[in-house]
Amino acid sequence: MNEGLYWEGMSLLDFARGPAFRWAVIIFVIGIVWRLGALLLSSRKDLSSPKGSTTGGGVKTLLTRSAPPHELEKNIVFQHYTGYAWHIGMFVILLFGTPHMLFFADILGFTWPTLPTPFITFFTVVTMGILLTLLVRRMMNPVLRKISTMDDYFSWLVAFLPFLTGFLAFAHITFGIRYETMLALHILSVCLLLVWFPFGKLMHALVIWPSRYKVGAAFARKGVQA
Amino acid sequence: MSATTTVDYGTLGERAAAGLKPKGLSDEQKVERAKEAMIAGMTADMATYLESCIHCGMCAEACHFYISTHEAKYTPIYKLEPLKKVYRRELAPTRWLNRLTTRDITVTDLENWKEFAYDSCTQCGRCSLLCPMGIHIQSMIQVVRNGIAAAGMAPAELQAVADEQKDKGSILGAGPDKLREVVEKVKAKGIDVPLDKDKADVMVLSSALDFLKDEEVLAATARIMNKIGANWTIKSDGFESANFGALAGDRQAQRRISKRIIDAAASAGAKKVIVAECGHAYPVLRWEAATMYGKELPFEFLSVAEYLGQEVKAGRLKLKKVNGGDSHVTFHDPCKIGRLGGTFDEPRDVLKAMGVKLTEMESHGRTNLCCGGGGGVLMLKSAKRLREAAFELKREEVERTGAPTVVTACNTCMQNLQIGKEWLNWDKDVVNLVNLVSDNLA
Amino acid sequence: MAASKTVGDALRSNGVSRRGFMKFCAATASMMALPPSMVSAVAAAIEKARRPSVIWLPFQECTGCTESLTRSHAPTVESLIFDSISLDYHHTLQAAAGQRAEDAMEAAMEENYGSYLLLVDGSVPTGDYEAYSCTNGHTHLSMLQKAAAGAAAIVSVGTCAAYGGIPKANPNPTQAAAIQDLVKDKPIINVPGCPPIPTVITGVLAHYLTFGTIPELDAYGRPMAFFGQNIHDRCYRRPFYERGLFAETFDDEGAKKGYCLYKLGCKGPITYNACATLKWNEGTSWPVQSGHGCLGCSEPDFWDKGSFYRPLSAAYWGDAKTVGISAAAGAAAALAASALARGKQKKAQQEEKA
Repeated sequence: MNEGLYWEGMSLLDFARGPAFRWAVIIFVIGIVWRLGALLLSSRKDLSSPKGSTTGGGVKTLLTRSAPPHELEKNIVFQHYTGYAWHIGMFVILLFGTPHMLFFADILGFTWPTLPTPFITFFTVVTMGILLTLLVRRMMNPVLRKISTMDDYFSWLVAFLPFLTGFLAFAHITFGIRYETMLALHILSVCLLLVWFPFGKLMHALVIWPSRYKVGAAFARKGVQA
Repeated sequence: MSATTTVDYGTLGERAAAGLKPKGLSDEQKVERAKEAMIAGMTADMATYLESCIHCGMCAEACHFYISTHEAKYTPIYKLEPLKKVYRRELAPTRWLNRLTTRDITVTDLENWKEFAYDSCTQCGRCSLLCPMGIHIQSMIQVVRNGIAAAGMAPAELQAVADEQKDKGSILGAGPDKLREVVEKVKAKGIDVPLDKDKADVMVLSSALDFLKDEEVLAATARIMNKIGANWTIKSDGFESANFGALAGDRQAQRRISKRIIDAAASAGAKKVIVAECGHAYPVLRWEAATMYGKELPFEFLSVAEYLGQEVKAGRLKLKKVNGGDSHVTFHDPCKIGRLGGTFDEPRDVLKAMGVKLTEMESHGRTNLCCGGGGGVLMLKSAKRLREAAFELKREEVERTGAPTVVTACNTCMQNLQIGKEWLNWDKDVVNLVNLVSDNLA
Repeated sequence: MAASKTVGDALRSNGVSRRGFMKFCAATASMMALPPSMVSAVAAAIEKARRPSVIWLPFQECTGCTESLTRSHAPTVESLIFDSISLDYHHTLQAAAGQRAEDAMEAAMEENYGSYLLLVDGSVPTGDYEAYSCTNGHTHLSMLQKAAAGAAAIVSVGTCAAYGGIPKANPNPTQAAAIQDLVKDKPIINVPGCPPIPTVITGVLAHYLTFGTIPELDAYGRPMAFFGQNIHDRCYRRPFYERGLFAETFDDEGAKKGYCLYKLGCKGPITYNACATLKWNEGTSWPVQSGHGCLGCSEPDFWDKGSFYRPLSAAYWGDAKTVGISAAAGAAAALAASALARGKQKKAQQEEKA
């Protein structure tokens, strides 16, 4: 792109694809690495003798925690698997939608097969439906109402907007707004997500791994599969 | 500076009556001390956990107190709110930004959180197994207790006994003298109790919570140890399994109390220390004592169930069939021995050796449902309603097995189940493993 | 040439039959989305229209716009219209040259002051670089200002005149500007494209001749009739986009089968022009049909939007170096924050032991 990041008459789309995205990526990277510094807090060395391998337990839990024993989660199956459903939808759209694949291909240097548009459209609509359902649940369920914060709602919005704007742009359903404006809004919504990511609960995508490892290690130390 | 060095506590009764408000601590000072304690107790693991919560609320569905009452405030992660706030504001990498969005804790928060850190949490760890993010909620409840205790606001019942145990080494007045008294009673039954041997391979612990009732458990334990033929002793300067410092959240007390056991075991040259059937005693000694003491220990801590299981498997403990082989039981895994201790097979090996028919509850082993009494909750009057609600869950589970007897290996579980049994006129038998084994020695 | 003859006279004298003329009017009317009932009105207007004087000023341009407009294998009604407009000044097309040509232009401008149409192609260098594009010793900026003063309306032909085009592309060494940036007091119709489609020009002129007004323009000053829809919506390969069938390279199976060219950088979705419907060379073909993605040449700054072969969805995320520096900055912040936090923890732990 134009070496000077800005030029006269830059359209919203040019801004979204250009300087906005560049800075979003910069803030994203700085923020993530910065927040992962949480892992560097001091720890008291545990001087008791372990009953099992912490590394083995930790690694195992990375995966097994995705499917807890039935008797533990029998009351919460809906929440758990609806949560998975929308994440799976998100990954399908993100990885197998052609425009997204092209975006990643630009960074990674290789391409991969993608799904036809109607599939992506279907997944997007279903994923948005699930997200809306979960939002309503958060607003109505007493436990969730007790523990929810502004972060939860704002992160929901930041996560939802790319689906909405992407869907409208990709399907060219733009309610009279020009296509490139819709596309610009979609890219800007992704910029917003990137900028918010390190500072809200979206960060869970990264911290889930050390967290699961640590609880797995902690229980394995006691001789218990976590 | 900790809460205990600058103030005058007066007598036990005065302390309990006053709800243990140390003279001279203002609200600001209480909050300050609570924060200091929580900052001191944080680890990198806890920081990772606190960064991970996505407010999904799944942990509630693992907690017996939530399941039995459906009150949203008992959601496990909610119990950690003060710690989360202190972490975010004081230690998190992005704390300068967090301070804009996270309120500071107040003395009212500490007051309100007594219910969540003490009354409604037995530190059973079931929530830690369910959280999809892998948050070890249980490991952090203790730090919240540390904070509340440092502010001098731990529940009076627990702090009072913690102080007594720290300063005098006794619980509810039952110290070495009481032990000697009970040992005499056991000896009078014809059971040898090698009290205060200079050196021994195995040091056995008891608990005032046991022998304040009667000498049954100590007698049973002694009989088994003698049958095994171990070179064992029980030391009057280090016999108490329970650690009320840990229950109250008073770290200084916890450390001092654990140290007595360590010193006694070291001076006896013991290789094994058998922790009596007591819930929190095992994890406090097995997992935390060495770190608090500052050195790796030359002996290993074993729970009674663990030890018995090992001895049965090694063939050193021969048992006969209970009731000639006609016995149907279910086993209630104590949370602190099982999920937080890693001991599931050993008690089952013992039961198998006694030829009982074992029907497991739906949640057993590492997923067992807490009885509702551990972590000091049994001692709290204010938690009675919660214990009763939790007991209902347990009762249903036991009844679904069809077994007429519940066997367990923890004094607190025993007591809690007994109380429930009396309250509901329940028709099941509640038996502890030590007594069962002692009655069926081959 | 005097501006006294009407357009109708001129056409007749060139042998255009009434039938041929009406066919042209019908086509023009339909191109401008006028109902069939308007055809006779269009015919009557064009017939009676006095041939307006037209001054064509080429500035910092490549002459491609003129080439596009005048390229025809056989005389067409379009080119005749052009001839029948009093094209009083056009470097490339006029026979005269030198001072004579200049004098002729001056005369025409004076005679038709206030009513001539000014057609411009090419951008205009400004500032310190004003002299980089001159004719007959006059800078193009001064020529533009002089000619614009007496014009009824200005038509910026081609993307260079409309938006600055290629000369304006980074780093814009001549400080080239678009006509609309320099002339603020006259109606301007932008007819961008690199080059624009010939029929679009005649359509605009036909509109002006018929109604004496500027056609409806979009936000970029382009006639809605031709620049009102985007290429993507009218592209014949759109079904392949929808079905997810793309050409991966310029000579693979997909390319041979005529699949969508999105992955090869087609800017159709954000380009507004008539290429997909009117096509080029009298409807022969257009870039996508020939197997190359749309360049977006009718859009402002199309040259500065990055590679023509970079797909629209590939945003400019930066580069590995920037990411590396950001990560290092984050790490520095993390280490500093952790060190301070650990200090706090240590202090608290020491107090605890006390």
